[in-house]
Amino acid sequence: MKDKSILNVPLLPFGWKKLGYVFFPLPVFLVIGLAFVNPDSNPIETSQVIYGFWAIGFGLLNLTREKVEDEMIKSFRLQAYQTGFYWLIWGIAALMMVNYLRFGRLTSEIFSAYLVLFLLNAYVYAAFQYQKYIASKN
Amino acid sequence: MKNTIKVERAKKDMTQQDLAEKVSVSRQTINSIEAGKYVPSTVLALKIARIFGVGLEEIFELEEGD
Repeated sequence: MKDKSILNVPLLPFGWKKLGYVFFPLPVFLVIGLAFVNPDSNPIETSQVIYGFWAIGFGLLNLTREKVEDEMIKSFRLQAYQTGFYWLIWGIAALMMVNYLRFGRLTSEIFSAYLVLFLLNAYVYAAFQYQKYIASKN
Repeated sequence: MKNTIKVERAKKDMTQQDLAEKVSVSRQTINSIEAGKYVPSTVLALKIARIFGVGLEEIFELEEGD
């Protein structure tokens, strides 16, 4: 695929991974701070803040180049997105089932774009790292 | 798919890192190809064959089930 194709996905430089990692502890401090400021804050809104930050963190990690971005890494990336999407479907189905068994309905306030983006990016990241681990294992 | 990259490297006294640099991939990729965990693209396979100065089919061979 040519680099100028509309289908080309530009990746961030390797250094952006550090910024991605910053997004994981950040919401924890933010939520603790918010709890002090407003002790009556809604726990669902609080969880959405965490999901949102973690979705951005995993998103940055997924869209950042490896040190050597060669064809094997590109093939791992493609497989990771396919596998991640597949796991997302099952993950959401499992959450809906748990919600149904506990509260008698499939949907809940907790199901949001933040949660779905977090799950998708987390699954993609996990599938990518797993392939790298298998490749490096002798 | 089987390959004889390790043998060809030994003939040329070349490390995985040397070969990786010559074909612009990571050492890990060469290691995975040698171990049969990753099947290279046609372009990369041709580059590897050219480095060793042999034909593609002298390095890569289909296995039963491929």
